[in-house]
Amino acid sequence: MAERPLSPHLSVYRMHRYTLLTSILNRVTGLALAAGLILLIYWLMAAASGPGAYAQAESVFALWIFKAIFLVLLAVFSYHLCAGVRHLVWDTGSGLERAQSRASAYLVLGASAVLFVGLACWLLIRVLA
Amino acid sequence: MAEFRLPANSRIVGGVTHKAPQGARDVRTVHIYRFDPDSGENPRVDTFELDAAECGQMVLDVLIRIKDSRDASLTFRRSCREGICGSCAMNINGVNRLACITSLRDLGPQIRIYPLPHMPVVKDLVPDLTTFYAQYASVKPWLMAQTPAPPDGERLQSKAEQEQIDRPAACILCACCSTACPSYWWNSDRYLGPAALLAAYRWIIDSRDEATGERLDALEDPFRLYRCHTIMNCTDVCPKDLNPAKAIAEIKKMLVQRQS
Repeated sequence: MAERPLSPHLSVYRMHRYTLLTSILNRVTGLALAAGLILLIYWLMAAASGPGAYAQAESVFALWIFKAIFLVLLAVFSYHLCAGVRHLVWDTGSGLERAQSRASAYLVLGASAVLFVGLACWLLIRVLA
Repeated sequence: MAEFRLPANSRIVGGVTHKAPQGARDVRTVHIYRFDPDSGENPRVDTFELDAAECGQMVLDVLIRIKDSRDASLTFRRSCREGICGSCAMNINGVNRLACITSLRDLGPQIRIYPLPHMPVVKDLVPDLTTFYAQYASVKPWLMAQTPAPPDGERLQSKAEQEQIDRPAACILCACCSTACPSYWWNSDRYLGPAALLAAYRWIIDSRDEATGERLDALEDPFRLYRCHTIMNCTDVCPKDLNPAKAIAEIKKMLVQRQS
């Protein structure tokens, strides 16, 4: 007899469900933040290497493409922070009922949006001032 | 490791369409995963256009109607038709549920029915649950006690002690939760999955059981327990409204607490 086929999984499961959506977003934002660390390390190394290297790093980061990347990273950070708090609460054994986890999924999405807009406005005001 | 693509022998190829009968009023288009082990062919998805007025109101009624009137070879498990046996667990419109208690009213005109995800398929909608049952057996789902039972009666529990195990003990082993869990998809060879862990928890917190330490020892493992990443699909889909995610969180807490 031929080997049994494996039933479809990712291709049939409803991926925009609140459970999967928040979990996958948490993973992806975690990866993006880790990638973003490379930029931070570059900046720190430049700062440690002397004024010349630091000035060069500043001019690189002044490019609009890096400003766009930092804006995305700010959104990513906002989500990952809020989702992380949700996981911390879960680890205490609370908030795990179906209705609670559904509510906290939307709470995390809303709170991270508010946090992102707040941080972005704060940075904009500081840059303009 | 996570293997996101289906193996070559599992990819869906083609399918047959069965048109709606003349004069159908409430037409539902039902897409059903088919696999015939005797044909040597890949799985396919057949489409059945059905008049919902000619069958009962649940998805299981649709399957039975199709088997009776369109294609007698359609294969699926069913028994109690009232959500207590757990036989007809399958993936319906992207979510694992029991066909017998899933109403057509909640599904709309397009209905997609697949076997429980990421399982070996025996035929059509029948998955091979051998590993799932072995994992359940591995948590020793029976009472373990050194102390003999009282000679004149049973081992008694207080009402509060009984209420603790009331919900976890109501599991019907339908496998909706475990096969909804992506962690279980990628690691079902080593991660026990929500259903087996819920069963483990049910015996860990049983006031009459005396093997709590031994049971916790068996679970303290990077894979068996800690592949749970609180994705929450298990609790989301449980047709009996049980909470495997909470049970797993409580087991994790007990493992930390006993270290101090």
